[in-house]
Amino acid sequence: MFQNRAEAFALALPAAIFAAAVFIVPVLILLSDGFRSLDGGWTLAAYGEFFSSPLNQAVFLRTLKLGALVTVVSAVIGYAAAFSIVSLSPAAKGRMTGLVVLPLMISPVARTYAWIVILGRTGIVNQAFQVLGLSEAPLRILFSETAIFIGLLQLFLPLMIISLISALENMPKDAVPAARVLGANWFQVFWKVILPLTKEGLVIGGTLVFTGCLTAYITPAILGGSKVLMLETLMYQQVAVSNNFVAASVIACILIVMSFAANLLLKRVATARNTQRKAAR
Amino acid sequence: MTARSLFVPTTLFLLATFLIGPFLIIVAASFSAGETLSFPPQGFSLQWILKVFTVESFRASFAMSMFLAIGGTAAALVLGIPASYALSRYRLPGAEIIRTIVSAPIIVPGIIVGLSLLRYVVVPFGVGITLALFLAHTALILPYAVRVVSASLDNLRSDIEEAAVLLGSSRLGAFFRVVMPNIKGGILSAFILGFVTSFNQVPVSLFLSGPGVRTLPIDMMAYMEIVFDPSVAALSSLLAFLSIGIVFAAERFLGFSRYV
Repeated sequence: MFQNRAEAFALALPAAIFAAAVFIVPVLILLSDGFRSLDGGWTLAAYGEFFSSPLNQAVFLRTLKLGALVTVVSAVIGYAAAFSIVSLSPAAKGRMTGLVVLPLMISPVARTYAWIVILGRTGIVNQAFQVLGLSEAPLRILFSETAIFIGLLQLFLPLMIISLISALENMPKDAVPAARVLGANWFQVFWKVILPLTKEGLVIGGTLVFTGCLTAYITPAILGGSKVLMLETLMYQQVAVSNNFVAASVIACILIVMSFAANLLLKRVATARNTQRKAAR
Repeated sequence: MTARSLFVPTTLFLLATFLIGPFLIIVAASFSAGETLSFPPQGFSLQWILKVFTVESFRASFAMSMFLAIGGTAAALVLGIPASYALSRYRLPGAEIIRTIVSAPIIVPGIIVGLSLLRYVVVPFGVGITLALFLAHTALILPYAVRVVSASLDNLRSDIEEAAVLLGSSRLGAFFRVVMPNIKGGILSAFILGFVTSFNQVPVSLFLSGPGVRTLPIDMMAYMEIVFDPSVAALSSLLAFLSIGIVFAAERFLGFSRYV
């Protein structure tokens, strides 16, 4: 540890000043715009107005609903996937983990674009339905909540699986066999042993997936079209089409409050786990 | 075969199909000989792969994205390495506040960063769009740079540089001759992580894109709204192989995953 304060500040301040000037100050001004009245006072009127619109309500609820749905489904798939991967031999486990991480390296635009080929009017799903005689006319899957759900799930599932793999690996190896020997069935083993022991991993994965969904832009923009909006695509429309900066500020505030709440939760879980680990040593 | 021994292979097969399948379809579609995007591809040709290189707007936006990814990451490292060093080696009053400030851009959604820069920096101060994009991408990468470099500094014992200083080296000399060679891998990993993050980033650049000034992913999104041919698929495959290649090389030569 060096003690020279002037030196330390000289090293750290350029980065801090840069982040404050380019990022923190402009964002704070943007947020405050949503609380300003025309005569310069403070008001919540913009929030009242925003939430009185049925369209905005629908978009807000849809964003929460899709976020929750994707988080829950990715947790269910994530446990099955992580459990299977952890049970493999070390070499196979490494390869399978690589396969889960691989999509994260690919541009989300490319990953989302693939679903147009699959879900579009002449896409694979519709071709299969026609061949099997399940539907007469091509189904309209693209530009719907279903399409956004599938796109988001594919985008964020890897984050959940990775969190759960490390949680399952940190679990005491004999916990599951012990519960089995004592007569628990697989449902009880999951509910009473695995879930409590991997809770932190689930919360970390869940937070990453949920905030990812809340702040998604690319997926709803490509798979939702201009009708099925989520908060970020609504924000873009408010600015680019309606020039409504007050509404944009309200949406920005909603997004920031929700992301911060999620991150706070994440931090608390992480510190709780660290203190637990230290205590265990 | 019991139900349990079937569970693992079935799950893994379905998982791989869901995660990798769409990507393989994109790759297959980019070799199509047909005029519209479709799967299974109609015939085989390289025309769409070759066409990507002839589209003028793709070339311009690729150059822009490369500039932002390389320049923005370099700038973030120039700011981030000294800051990480101060945070890990000095008793710094307000260290937590500084750490929070430099890592804040990671928590706030990119679209908000882009909009507030546009409204309160670009418009009032007449900053050019290219410069604004550069500032936004630098701010976006700064948290990653600080996190990865800090991690490798924390793994390095601080007494070796104290020893260098005691033996008569200047503080600066000790940093460049003792610390830098030891955190080289971390810095390179931070560079790769920053590059990939910046290159794939859409929301930050959304409001900062003007006529003729666009990043590649935004250009691709605009193109696919108008034209329904396989060229975006071809471009997506090329980019995917590029970033997978970079990450694989990094993992092989640096042990990338140790740092990230």
